[in-house]
Amino acid sequence: MRRFLIILGFITSILAVILSVSPLSNIAFIPAVLALICGFIAFYLSRQKQYPTKSIQLILLLTIISLTITTYKAVFNVAEVGNIESLELKVKESEKEAIEELEGLDLDDMEIDTEDEPNFSEIDSLP
Amino acid sequence: MKHFLLFAYAIVCTSTFAQNTSIGSNENLTFSASYNMSGLLTEIAQVTMETSEVNTSNTTLLRLKCTAATYSSFDNYFKIRDLYESYVSRTTLLPFLHKRDINEGSYYKFMQYKFNHKTRTVESTLKKKNTAENKTLKIGANTRDIVSTIYHIRNLDIHKASPGDIQNFTFLFDEEELIISVKYLKKETINTNLGKKECYKLAISLKNDDALKGTNENLLWLTADGNKIPVYAKFKIAVGTGELKIKSASGLKN
Repeated sequence: MRRFLIILGFITSILAVILSVSPLSNIAFIPAVLALICGFIAFYLSRQKQYPTKSIQLILLLTIISLTITTYKAVFNVAEVGNIESLELKVKESEKEAIEELEGLDLDDMEIDTEDEPNFSEIDSLP
Repeated sequence: MKHFLLFAYAIVCTSTFAQNTSIGSNENLTFSASYNMSGLLTEIAQVTMETSEVNTSNTTLLRLKCTAATYSSFDNYFKIRDLYESYVSRTTLLPFLHKRDINEGSYYKFMQYKFNHKTRTVESTLKKKNTAENKTLKIGANTRDIVSTIYHIRNLDIHKASPGDIQNFTFLFDEEELIISVKYLKKETINTNLGKKECYKLAISLKNDDALKGTNENLLWLTADGNKIPVYAKFKIAVGTGELKIKSASGLKN
């Protein structure tokens, strides 16, 4: 049981550290909390049976690092759009091209051939 | 009797094309798209929906433009710069030209549809990094593109609907006609960045595609006023849920 908890604690704490440095840092809270729970239970069992606790301390250290990074990012990082100059340029070019395309279309009479689309009020309610 | 029939026909003709009562010609809506896993929200991208007028030599059209751009923290991992456009009639919101320019990571795709509602055909152009393809597609009488369908849904007379009412719309996506089903659930008041708003709660599902999963789990909240602004949307994906929340709105019609 103690060994299983230590292995699980290591996996989840390492996952928490990896997630905390990625843009999906908020999700790191889930493995970090799991690692904390595993770490504390393993620590309690180790103290009962007088086993060494070095590996458990490492789990807790990794978890604290990941929680610190995640909390810092959650509080101080502001979501900002990056460089969208190329997109803005594309928007302008696209409009120019679209006008050329539209000039070639016969826009007259196009609106008269569609069938009547029922509105919400004309549709039967579901049973 | 003849006069009555003529009068009835005139009423039917005028009601056939729902007039644009909700979409302004200089509207700008900004949203934040986020991923929600067990209540932990991660903001991923900014989505904008803009309208503007476009003049050609013989008419003025409404340009409906939607863009999606990932936030800078995601740009190094998976950069998205998408542009969806539709050039529609100002009064009926019927599309004439639709363009879709997708730039996601190393993936690129360009799609263009030129609608001819008279012959019920669409001239389709597909461009990828190394390929280009032109096709002529047959479409149904009420087939639109995805952008004009979204704006068309906003223009519906939802105030006349009763909870449980459903309406289907056909739209062309990836050269295939898909049917989107919109079900009016109820009125609900929610907190948004624009303040507390009374909204129409709609459930959205795709009939012949499994991109949207679950029943009544893909939801859209439109403000229950003349503008019917989409203030909040929630959609189920493989792991967790995606959310779209309004950040700002300007240039509204009403």
